[in-house]
Amino acid sequence: MNRTIGFVGLVVVVVAGLLFVGKSASKRGAMASTGGHLSVGNYKGSVAPDFELKVLGQPDKSMKLSELRGKGVLVNFWATWCEPCKLEMPWFVELQKQYGPQGLQIVGVAMDDTDEKTIGEFAKKMGVNYPILMGTEKVADQYGGVDGLPTSFFVDRSGKVVDRAMGLVSESVIVDNIKKALGGEGTASLDKDKDKNKAKDKSNMASL
Amino acid sequence: MTKKAWIFPVLCLALSLASFAQSSSSVSTPSRVSVEPVSTVVVKPGQNSEVEFTLHVQQGFHINSNQPTIPELKPTELHFSPPSELIIARLQYPAGSLLSFPFDPDSKLSVYSGDVTVKAKVIAQSSATPGPYTVHGELMYQACDNNSCYPPKKLPVDFTVKVAKDVRPRAHGNAQSPHIH
Repeated sequence: MNRTIGFVGLVVVVVAGLLFVGKSASKRGAMASTGGHLSVGNYKGSVAPDFELKVLGQPDKSMKLSELRGKGVLVNFWATWCEPCKLEMPWFVELQKQYGPQGLQIVGVAMDDTDEKTIGEFAKKMGVNYPILMGTEKVADQYGGVDGLPTSFFVDRSGKVVDRAMGLVSESVIVDNIKKALGGEGTASLDKDKDKNKAKDKSNMASL
Repeated sequence: MTKKAWIFPVLCLALSLASFAQSSSSVSTPSRVSVEPVSTVVVKPGQNSEVEFTLHVQQGFHINSNQPTIPELKPTELHFSPPSELIIARLQYPAGSLLSFPFDPDSKLSVYSGDVTVKAKVIAQSSATPGPYTVHGELMYQACDNNSCYPPKKLPVDFTVKVAKDVRPRAHGNAQSPHIH
């Protein structure tokens, strides 16, 4: 009897130990900037986790982030129920037009749990001119567990994260980060645009 | 120490480790809303009783009202799955406050913040057997602060209804009809 109890105790200890070690290791993995996950605190300079997501409105078509290597990429997590996200979208439309020729690609990642049709109609209403991908929890986890929206990641031409914006930030901050993602190319024209965007910020974000 | 004596502490240690491992595994996002526990509702068969649900919205956050001004926004809603002896009816949500936020100063959103009270009626079927019943429910809400919005959440809202004995004398003839013929 004693031997049986001892054996059961040993098994419990081993299982608990494995659970403990496993979870601690997985937690460390999530916090480190390797293994396809971004660190919550130290994301700058990390390779942006690759993903492959369905493209909204294009059945059977998906897009991989790694396909955009060589471009400056703005990955914007958003949702239809997010009012601050709506404010950014017209900026992104303009920024895509302005900086697209210099190698910028904006990518929207919709974190809605609603149907594609609703998201598509919303994106159409907002005049979105960049691809919208259907987001997943897995991808959000890869990017540090995106909780608040909007959240944007700025990825340079080599695929590394240069900065991140959590919540609504002013348009000039977005432009600065786009410049970093593009690696300073076309700086003269970007500086002219920046003055214009700062003026716009004053009227749009007066109370922020 | 006898053989038996070391088993108990080892088992305790193992269970503690397992418990810690499990708790550290769940990545929980902070809840911006809580629901005050609901006191037991007492109701007699065939009658109704009012019940109030008090929601606390954390300072610095707001949630959409039950009737948001913009269709894409998720309304605050309570849903219940009562046992067949009970009916939850006439949910009364307060009107939201029409506020502008820094992220969109030009439009007004209908929101709740601070403490919010939602009222409802608990109706016990005439055939309900006296005794305690548990009503399971869910609060659905979506919170934002001044520059971010957070995914829609669900919170359990369970409460107990005690169907009391109806001691009123039963009328002769048609017991269902309150009218005098």
